[in-house]
Amino acid sequence: MMRNSIIMMAITCAFGSQQAMAAQPTLEEKLEIMQQEIETLKAQTTKKSGSGHGAASTGNTTIGGYGEVVYNNYKYKKDEADLKRFVLFFGHKFSDRVQLVSELEVEHAKADKDGGEVAMEQAYIQYGVSDRINTRAGLMLMPLGITNETHEPTTFYGVERSEVESRIIPSTWRELGVALQGEAIAGLEYNVGISTTPDASKYKDASKGFRDLRTSGRQVAANDLGLFAAMNYRAVPGLLLGASIFSGNTAQDGIGATPKAALVGVDAKLTLWDVHAKYTLGGLDLQALYAKGKLGDTAQINAAATLTAGSNKAAPESFYGWYGQAGYRVWQDGDMDATPFVRHERYNTQETVAAGYTTDPLNDETVTTVGVNFKLHPQVVLKADHQNFKADNVKDRFNLGVGYMF
Amino acid sequence: MNLSNLILKFIVLFVACSLTWSAHAMEQVYQSTEDFIAEIFIVSPPAKLIWLTKDVQTAVAGILGHAPRQLRQRYWGDEVRTLWILEEIGKEELITAGFVVQEGRLVQAKILAYRESRGMEVRYPAFLKQFKGAVLSSDNHLDRTIDGISGATLSVNAMQRMARTALYFDQLSRIK
Repeated sequence: MMRNSIIMMAITCAFGSQQAMAAQPTLEEKLEIMQQEIETLKAQTTKKSGSGHGAASTGNTTIGGYGEVVYNNYKYKKDEADLKRFVLFFGHKFSDRVQLVSELEVEHAKADKDGGEVAMEQAYIQYGVSDRINTRAGLMLMPLGITNETHEPTTFYGVERSEVESRIIPSTWRELGVALQGEAIAGLEYNVGISTTPDASKYKDASKGFRDLRTSGRQVAANDLGLFAAMNYRAVPGLLLGASIFSGNTAQDGIGATPKAALVGVDAKLTLWDVHAKYTLGGLDLQALYAKGKLGDTAQINAAATLTAGSNKAAPESFYGWYGQAGYRVWQDGDMDATPFVRHERYNTQETVAAGYTTDPLNDETVTTVGVNFKLHPQVVLKADHQNFKADNVKDRFNLGVGYMF
Repeated sequence: MNLSNLILKFIVLFVACSLTWSAHAMEQVYQSTEDFIAEIFIVSPPAKLIWLTKDVQTAVAGILGHAPRQLRQRYWGDEVRTLWILEEIGKEELITAGFVVQEGRLVQAKILAYRESRGMEVRYPAFLKQFKGAVLSSDNHLDRTIDGISGATLSVNAMQRMARTALYFDQLSRIK
């Protein structure tokens, strides 16, 4: 009897263990298996579409953008409202290493004979050589200053960009070229390259520095090429320390956008450099920048622009600008916050000019801007400020603006 | 400097860099999910799931600013901590980040994969340690300000959204 019981128990155990081995997973285990299967399929789909055959609908194409509407209420001249910029960003990843970066911009709502512009702000192919080196070729933003590369309206204070980063560093400044960009050491970004240069034959007057000389990638004279280099250190949260330089000839052998005999055989070398810093700690946001430029052969540039001796529109031999800015977030509720700020700028777009020419005192300017950025959302901002121009007070104005980025 | 010399030097520099580095893989993935789990837990716990019901989807959409991409969220946890692997787009690329939550508080944030060409500073401890100790306020925001990185606003925003989502999911996971 005892022996039969032992045999029965052994059979039961064996059968039981066999049953256990063949047992179906629990509902939770099944769900986990399904989840893993779904994630594997997702990964495979992503990899497949990244092989370079994907269309816009594969998920390898990204769309973003930014825009701003401004209202300028001048003290002494006509007020103006403007859809200043509407920019669409299109990126496409052909593979893990190769991608397109582009931004298409409409300025002032529409482009016709009265003004406005439809332009490419950037359009380049980037090839990732390693996690520390990217190579770029195409139309690129020059990595000078703070605003030229990072100019979405939610990233700067004030309805208008700083005067220094508009007149001394002519944001948004882009050139055609090739570059190496990446991370040299932890937190230190470098960006070096060779590019087309501004065109001295387009010079008109000095009030906007060399802004009029920009070519922006449209059938650019490429007889002269320039070099640029920038370093930006961001390893400490909230801190940015940076410096940059651009140097290149702009005479284009006298056959720039408008052929000019006066520019034949000269260099008209442009050199522009800057140092900048930004520090954000809690609600406090501090920023400062100094930029200095030099332009060679300005007598020939003046001659090419048919400026006669004594003219105060002369091309600058040297020009400079700096600003200091402080903002403090005084209120925050969820996604919304309010940050009053003050910015003090000093610039001279005509510090020195060629012998025989004069300077316009209105180009030696001091600007104080006081206002507030009110964020409805981290990526949507309402702005209001007042700007006081010390030398040219016709420009004094009260500004309102709304901007976004996504 | 002669222009042709300049171009030649640039090309030589470019080729040298390419040859030196092209053998390296694009190391955009800094740590696998499995390794991160093994780093946090002595014995890796089985994965669990949170189902994103309509109410949860609405709440998560409020945090992310867009509908969640998944209807189930996998996580790992024991009696003390939960671990969440989340993904969000910075400017144009997905950022994969891991978050560990203990008693409703973030105890660790880590970038597992970063694919953008700028803003790579978000993956350094100096930035990530700002999340340590953060809790979720009643309106699903962090209880603190995270100092940003100039030029990487969208990546920083994405990290904050993911941190908030991890804390929110942790709250859900503890509802019996």
